[in-house]
Amino acid sequence: MRNKIAISLFYIIVCICLTGCYNARELDQLGISLIMGIDIEDGKILLTAEIVDPAYTTESSSTIQGSSVKYVQGSGNTVLEALRDITLKFDRRIYGAHNKVLIFGEEVAKLGLVSHIDELFRDKEQRESSYILIAKGAKAYEVMGITNGLETIPANYILDLIQNVKYNPKAVVVSIIDYLRHYYHEGHHPVAGVIEKIKKMEIDELGESTGTKNYELTIIGSAIFKKDKLRGYLNGNDTKAVNFILGHIERSIITFPTPTNVFEEGQSEIGKQQLSSVIVIKSKVKNDVEMEGDRLILKTKVDLRTSLGEFNGKIDLTKEENLNKIAEACSKTAEINIKSAVKKVQKEYGVDIFGFGIEFHRKYPKQWEKIKDNWDEIFAEADFEIEVKTHIIRTGLINNPPIVE
Amino acid sequence: MDNRKKADKIYYHQAMLLVIVLRIILGLTYLPELNTPPANQDIWIMLLLSILYTVVFSLPLLYLGNKFSQYSFYEYAEMIMGKFIGKVINIFYGLFFFMFLIFFSSVFIEILNSSLYDETPTIINITILMITSTYIVYKGIMNLARLGELVIPFILLLFFLLAILGFENYDFKMLLPILSDSKLADINKGALISSLRNTDSLILIMLIPYLEEKKDVNKIFIKSLIYSIFIVILTVIIVQATLGIEYTKLVNFPFYNFSRLIKIGETQGFDLLYVVSWIMGNVIKVSSYHYFTTVALGKVANKRNQIFIIPAAVVNIIAVILLKDRRPIIAVKDPFPQIFIVSTVLGIIIIPLILFIVYLFRRNKIEQSSNSNKN
Repeated sequence: MRNKIAISLFYIIVCICLTGCYNARELDQLGISLIMGIDIEDGKILLTAEIVDPAYTTESSSTIQGSSVKYVQGSGNTVLEALRDITLKFDRRIYGAHNKVLIFGEEVAKLGLVSHIDELFRDKEQRESSYILIAKGAKAYEVMGITNGLETIPANYILDLIQNVKYNPKAVVVSIIDYLRHYYHEGHHPVAGVIEKIKKMEIDELGESTGTKNYELTIIGSAIFKKDKLRGYLNGNDTKAVNFILGHIERSIITFPTPTNVFEEGQSEIGKQQLSSVIVIKSKVKNDVEMEGDRLILKTKVDLRTSLGEFNGKIDLTKEENLNKIAEACSKTAEINIKSAVKKVQKEYGVDIFGFGIEFHRKYPKQWEKIKDNWDEIFAEADFEIEVKTHIIRTGLINNPPIVE
Repeated sequence: MDNRKKADKIYYHQAMLLVIVLRIILGLTYLPELNTPPANQDIWIMLLLSILYTVVFSLPLLYLGNKFSQYSFYEYAEMIMGKFIGKVINIFYGLFFFMFLIFFSSVFIEILNSSLYDETPTIINITILMITSTYIVYKGIMNLARLGELVIPFILLLFFLLAILGFENYDFKMLLPILSDSKLADINKGALISSLRNTDSLILIMLIPYLEEKKDVNKIFIKSLIYSIFIVILTVIIVQATLGIEYTKLVNFPFYNFSRLIKIGETQGFDLLYVVSWIMGNVIKVSSYHYFTTVALGKVANKRNQIFIIPAAVVNIIAVILLKDRRPIIAVKDPFPQIFIVSTVLGIIIIPLILFIVYLFRRNKIEQSSNSNKN
């Protein structure tokens, strides 16, 4: 009998203890943030969070007025203080575990990112896999709230744009941990994605005026950092070249002038009018550095396996030598573009965002110790050699273009 | 000791699993190797070298353990050094295990606060831990070994699963060529420090009287050492490849941070798998140190170890509250590493070496008294 009482008591105690976590916070007490924007205004941190409204669902959107998200702002001397400031204006505590993207205003980026994101990776809620974007020429909150896709939640719209980079590498995908890895790694300055509000070309359509209808967002380009301070931006084509060197090309396209006269004479000439495109299936990149006397040569070898995506020209694609000439033209274009991007980074910014410093460290560890503090100056003066090899391994569902007679 | 029942024996694989998990749980918690010289891509070489040092340092312990396999360490310490000095040595080992019990319990609470229960008071966490540990210790070391047999394969499986799931985040460019930035002196120093962290070989020595096949002790020692170092090396490499060599040095719980980054599609939260396996491993570690603290105290007082289980748990709870609520354990390093190094040098090298030397001088007398005890 005593045993039965003891066991019953034990089960009662266990049931009481296991009813939930200590000090648990239920979903209806949290303000789930999907995007956070960090700015500096009047010398204080201004934090803007996009909070999902759980009452607004796709089904209820036809009956409930308003938006699927709410925007809340808080300011303070530190990020944490700004976060806590929100609690006095908004009825729910901001829950950052679902933050997918962090947007930094240009001003913050110029002052230094790392000092402004300490709280975010010290706290367990914010995940280091969240993406970083820099609001180009704007405050973070100015680009928040714009949606031009089918997604009703602006955060998901931005997230989808980031995920689309795999189809078009004119932008970079950088998470907090990617950024930190390069920030701490000598010989490789970090880059980050950018986000820009651009005027949308008006097309006649039936739509309600939302106030932001005339704008759309683009994440084309990239932001260059020296350690954690923003130095400038690269345009889409230069960013694509950066992605080439970093080996982040996946399902990208390369457009190049179609070689002409091959069909008739078997001679390749770079045509000026007609352009063709290949889709990269697989790429292999090998970066290297070489010392020749006092001269430093940065070397990149890119090996591409591609599929012919679009062809405009009069060439018999059933002949292998012609296909090789197209591949050659593609390689040449890629080489020119990559070379121009590297030159631009060397001359305009003078920071090694390609990681050639790591290659130098790898190859010449003893010399690295002596020059590592001046690496950027050495990088800026170095020669660059690029070799792209393209293999067209597919031509799609057709071989010769329809215009070939 | 001779009349222990068959069921009260610890089997070869149970002992090996236990020692492996005691060793790797430190790596899965705060991975001190990341900040141990050379603290770069050559840590794995340092860890391999540490195997050699660990073996050399453990030789006196292993020799005595093999020689007195029917007796507990506490018993043969008294046989070799006499009652009084033997008791002093046993007090030292009691304090040694108790100090590590406090440290491991504090680290446990710290990571729980950092990962899951940030608002739960220390007293709740430590009390739950010590109730669990007290129950396990009351059931005896054999039951702890059996629990380990069930739980440890699961912990290892989760570790390898997380290592595979995190593959997408590995950036092996972070790892520079071997020996490009390290001096051999640094690697050597690191190996020495790392081998001195291996207090868990002492647990194996304590387990010898309970082993079913006592002659397996050397095999268990070597195998568990190699397997555990292999797992720690793997942990170091995957953490460095994911977080970068420099950033890992700043992170308090590197493997936890690594597991937070695992993502399959939009699915995240794999860190909970890590926390589950880590809690299980730590319960085993804390219980082992709790058990051997009480055994040492029991030997000193000539009483059964059971009467010290609850007092040791209560003192540990108080000590952890006093310690944990005053300062961080992992982030503020000093003075723990210095205390641990001194303690392990004494506990693993110097005292066993003295015992070994004295044994060589008094061998005949000790063997006679040992035989008369048996008869």
